[in-house]
Amino acid sequence: MVRRSLVSVVDDDESVRESLPDLLRELGFSAHAFSSAEEFLTSDYIDQTRCLILDIAMPGMTGPDLQRELKLRRKEIPIVFITAHRDATVRPQVLEQGAVECLFKPFSDTALLNALNAALRVS
Amino acid sequence: MADSSHEISVDNAIGAANSSQSPSARALSRVEPPQSESGLFSGESVLNILKLIFTGAPLADVLTIIARLVEAQGKGMFCTIWLLDKEGGYVHCATAPSLPGFITHWGRTPVGPDGACCGTAVYRREPVYSTDILSDPLWDSYRHLVAPYGVRAVWARPLFSSEGKALGTFAILYRNVGSPSATDLQLIENASHIVGIAIERHLNEKELRRSEAFLAEAQRLSVTGSFSWRVDTDEITWSEELYRIFEFDRDAPVTLELIGSRVHPEDIPLLNDMIARARGIGTDFEYEHRLQMPDRSVKHVHLVGHGRRDRDGRLVYIGAAQDVTEHRLSEETLGKVRSELAHMARVTSLGALTASIAHEVNQPLSGIVTNASTCLRMLATDPPNVDGARDTARRTIRDGNRLSDVITRLRALFSKKETTFESLDLNEAIREVIALSLSELHRGRVILRTELADNLPLVTGDRVQLQQVVLNLLRNASDAMSSVNDRPRHIVITTEREEGDRVRLTVQDEGVGLDPQAMDRLFEAFYTTKNEGMGMGLSISRSIIERHHGRLWAAPNDGPGATFSFSIPCGLASATGARSLGVIATPAAKDAKSVQGNP
Repeated sequence: MVRRSLVSVVDDDESVRESLPDLLRELGFSAHAFSSAEEFLTSDYIDQTRCLILDIAMPGMTGPDLQRELKLRRKEIPIVFITAHRDATVRPQVLEQGAVECLFKPFSDTALLNALNAALRVS
Repeated sequence: MADSSHEISVDNAIGAANSSQSPSARALSRVEPPQSESGLFSGESVLNILKLIFTGAPLADVLTIIARLVEAQGKGMFCTIWLLDKEGGYVHCATAPSLPGFITHWGRTPVGPDGACCGTAVYRREPVYSTDILSDPLWDSYRHLVAPYGVRAVWARPLFSSEGKALGTFAILYRNVGSPSATDLQLIENASHIVGIAIERHLNEKELRRSEAFLAEAQRLSVTGSFSWRVDTDEITWSEELYRIFEFDRDAPVTLELIGSRVHPEDIPLLNDMIARARGIGTDFEYEHRLQMPDRSVKHVHLVGHGRRDRDGRLVYIGAAQDVTEHRLSEETLGKVRSELAHMARVTSLGALTASIAHEVNQPLSGIVTNASTCLRMLATDPPNVDGARDTARRTIRDGNRLSDVITRLRALFSKKETTFESLDLNEAIREVIALSLSELHRGRVILRTELADNLPLVTGDRVQLQQVVLNLLRNASDAMSSVNDRPRHIVITTEREEGDRVRLTVQDEGVGLDPQAMDRLFEAFYTTKNEGMGMGLSISRSIIERHHGRLWAAPNDGPGATFSFSIPCGLASATGARSLGVIATPAAKDAKSVQGNP
């Protein structure tokens, strides 16, 4: 059996942490959710993570903060940002910093799948 | 006899006047020769002299005439009149009509204990009579000055103003040695009295001219002119400064038409309104309007008029007009900046508001969509993962409820805080709003009239909220007239008592009026006809009035414009009978009396 790629979800919103891993599993990935960037950084999952689904606005370390931190640590994990703020200026910024995609909540499963496929192609 | 003529008829007249003298003195050459020896001026001659004095004849002429009149009373008398200089150090001879060259010969004498008779009389503040100047030591230094005229006695009497201030000396120089007779004394008294009046009047006039000059200077400095306007004849008098402000030719007679020709075309209705109202009621007025100058520049003039009736009951306005252009221009700039800032703030806060609402809603919505997607996928597998789908559907429901909670929270956040009811005077609350809006209304060239009922009962309500409603109606009325240029922009605010212990407020404008198609939507949130409006004003106003168990409605006028009114019950107790009563969230609301006593 093909080993499923691990997709890690980092979001302070509980409903996302509860719902998104289930969908990811339905889409054929293995999934793990973290409630903060700090929690993800201190976990053992960094190296196994093939793709990171990352909320932008979080208390403490934000999504872009984590993106920078991972770059510094030379962890080349493809990132798909998700955000509830429909702010047009944020998307180009994070894409420029190397993110694969930036999805606005709520997003469809197809949009998510397309983004994940693109991310995994990158890796 | 015409007051402007200096021509007089003096029955106790005098000899021929010197032809080199002024017209008023020359006029005397036509009067009749002397007759009386009573030592008194006749009533008519006194009257004629007074007439001369009060029609502004030169002082020197008046004094000469008096001197001649005195000389005509007795042979061998030479009359001289001396004026005290400003510093009080000398008396100067102002007239000596029968002593040729005397004034140049002996122009002045010091005020002091030995200043001949004339200076000494002022110094002593009492008459000084020298019966023989040849022996009187007072004349030691001056004898040679009068001796050539064959003078032996000098009778000098100091002159005083009505307040007792020394003015000068009246002196009779006499050919013979001797004291003045009773008749002479009477004559001296008589003449001195009139001379005193003439001098005092002259000094007062000088003072008046000086203060007028001061006033003109003050008006120039403060760019304020004064005017009077006689309403029945439209006779208008203007101060110099007003001519300057209006840039009118100084010689042009000022008429309302001339003023109208300078008033900014857009403000003509304002002027007409002002004139019509000033003519009508005769109360004080205060207006501000613009002038359009010949070079197309614009001035702002602030006008204050005080109406009063003269003795015949005719209306006369006395007023002042100030050029407030600089003030107004800087205020306008400030106002522009302010409204731009306000707009920015509104847009910014609105943007921030919608963003945060979107965020709050999108979070749980995202969970719902994800769960629903998962659910569908679970059901689409073969065999379908029914248990998984059921769990996911349950989570979807829970996220839906969570979203509903978010919306409840948002509503709580934006709904009005608890209303504070108190007993208040609606008229007073309205006056406060008007005071706050006055400069804005001025800028909008709006003429506001208030007809607030005197007998208005107190109402129980939230002062600030009711003021918001009034302010909103006032703004709407003003905005509705911003494009009106062919008629005055009138707003009338009225309060009145209504049957059933209610009060009613109406705000009537003469603006663009109401679109009949849109009447139903007027009070809906986000409905607006304004470019900059959010369409919340009337919707919020109506909810405030409903919270007061009242009614807010709009109606088109017979003429142009619209009228918005609200009617609220005076006390909440009386409102308990009203239809569709909500529960009022104030502990004291059940009993209006306790609300009044316990604000």
